[in-house]
Amino acid sequence: MSVTPLLVVEHLSKTFGGVVAVKDCSMTIHEGSVVGLIGPNGAGKSSVIDLVSGFERPEVGSVRFDGVELVGKRPDVISRMGLIRTFQSPREWRDLSVIDNVRVARSDHAGETVWRSLVVGRRSRRLEAEDAENRQLMVKYALDEIRNERAVGLSGGQKRLLEFARIAAARPRLTILDEPMGGVNPVLGARIGQAIRDLKAAGSTVVVVEHNLPFIEQTCDEVVVMDLGSVIAQGRFDELRNNERVVDAYLGNDDDIVQV
Amino acid sequence: MLQYWTAILTEASIFGILALGIDMIWGWAGDFDLSAYAYFALGVYVTMVLTIGKAKSPVTYVLGLHLPYPVAVALAVVVVVAFASIIGAVALRTLREVYFSITTLGAVWAIYYFVENYTPLFNGYNGVYGLVDPMGRSLSYSLYHYLFLGFCVLALFLVYLLVQRLSASPFGRMVRAVRDDEKAAAVYGRNIFWTKYRTYLFGAGLAGLAGGLFAAYIGAFNPLDWKPTEIFVLYAAILVGGRGNPKGVVLGSFIVYVGFVEMTRYIPSPASRPELGPALRQILIGLLIILMLRFRPAGILPEKLGTDGTERRRTRRGLLSGDPGPTTNDVVSVETLDVTGGA
Repeated sequence: MSVTPLLVVEHLSKTFGGVVAVKDCSMTIHEGSVVGLIGPNGAGKSSVIDLVSGFERPEVGSVRFDGVELVGKRPDVISRMGLIRTFQSPREWRDLSVIDNVRVARSDHAGETVWRSLVVGRRSRRLEAEDAENRQLMVKYALDEIRNERAVGLSGGQKRLLEFARIAAARPRLTILDEPMGGVNPVLGARIGQAIRDLKAAGSTVVVVEHNLPFIEQTCDEVVVMDLGSVIAQGRFDELRNNERVVDAYLGNDDDIVQV
Repeated sequence: MLQYWTAILTEASIFGILALGIDMIWGWAGDFDLSAYAYFALGVYVTMVLTIGKAKSPVTYVLGLHLPYPVAVALAVVVVVAFASIIGAVALRTLREVYFSITTLGAVWAIYYFVENYTPLFNGYNGVYGLVDPMGRSLSYSLYHYLFLGFCVLALFLVYLLVQRLSASPFGRMVRAVRDDEKAAAVYGRNIFWTKYRTYLFGAGLAGLAGGLFAAYIGAFNPLDWKPTEIFVLYAAILVGGRGNPKGVVLGSFIVYVGFVEMTRYIPSPASRPELGPALRQILIGLLIILMLRFRPAGILPEKLGTDGTERRRTRRGLLSGDPGPTTNDVVSVETLDVTGGA
């Protein structure tokens, strides 16, 4: 594991109306690691993701990605810098085919100008080479049979897998997954764990927000614990297991839940 | 009879171009725009005042030039796109769905009443008239109309080819991704506003082009000729033909602008009620929209899915299977996986 900080969040604060969602939140994510972001409901995990990915703007604080300030940048600009995030529910492009979903995720945006689209059209050697890779991803994520179907018809689990196929196609430097296990059965859950390890193997740093603690323990190198909008602890899972503040904040006093 | 067919086919071709433009904005980008009829009307007015020459009192309008017809149409498209760039910049920045539609509805009525009441612009309520003559004055009246029909059909065909190519291209795919889920499109690096804006301006440009053609077809144009509510006839054409499918949109335009005129033509209109035919046509169009939405909401030719060309095709001999595709060793098999996730 490299020690270069890829993402540095410092003193981030955000209120929605009168509600303080994120308060003086700081964390550091190192390149090449898989980090679990945990905390009770309302701890501010999803808000932090929105602030980091540009969907919300913090009142105070800074977010640096590979040394570049992200606050004030649009989500699409941040994405092109190599940061891809997901949402709690899968957001497929419903009326595109499954393979088109992956094509859009992969595209380097150069072929999408009106002019190039008219001159080059649908077929080019580069697009065909990309499509060969897209087919590999379809096979890998068990979507090959349905690659030419409308994405809206996919099952919940298939939509989760499609999300991973899109991320694999986009090849981000940092992937932030917001509850990838939501509504997922154990068999598919194992598959998603594998997909996260594959992302790491492909060179992406991964941040996972998840409530499933056994999953976090098995998948993540490190855990960041949030409560009431702030980070209260960061470290290895087994170190935090005995951290009283973490146990109190996140798990109440019920020791059974911690013993996984 | 021949003249009658020439007239309705010319109209259908011109409105087919307009429908293709509106479909880019609504079908591809998902923005239910209500101001496109103003872009069309602006295209008509600008083409006319650039070609019919100086206004003679009491008629008043701006410019009054004698430019060659193609130059006038090109300038009309430029003016329309410039105008749409203002409305689009306001309406598309943050407004979506019904808020976008209401903003464009406000814009179109503002333009409508301005044109109707500010006479120095396009002679207000009485409108602009004069011969826009793309082919010189040497031709006979009927020959001119046949040639102009051919010209409009050719224009529709070329516009169709252009739009079809764009529709199937990476650009068309990106616009539809933005339509289906903006947040996801932003996550994968797409500039939402710029994508929608470009599509909007392209669609408005086609509306201006249709207006330029219409100017040479009618020879007189006043606010009674372009009620903004007429846009629903175009939306009916798009719905019937197939939203998001250029071929379907052209088909729908011909069904609505040729088929419906034909159907209502044989209904006897008593001399005391000459408006019965046109009124029935409107009723039929309303009925058609309802029936299509109920039974075939995607239209006769639904939007084409972007595939890899190996999809199963139905043929007369049954299902033709596509190629089996690549097989790799790194397929994650559910059976071999440790369910607890510790692989």
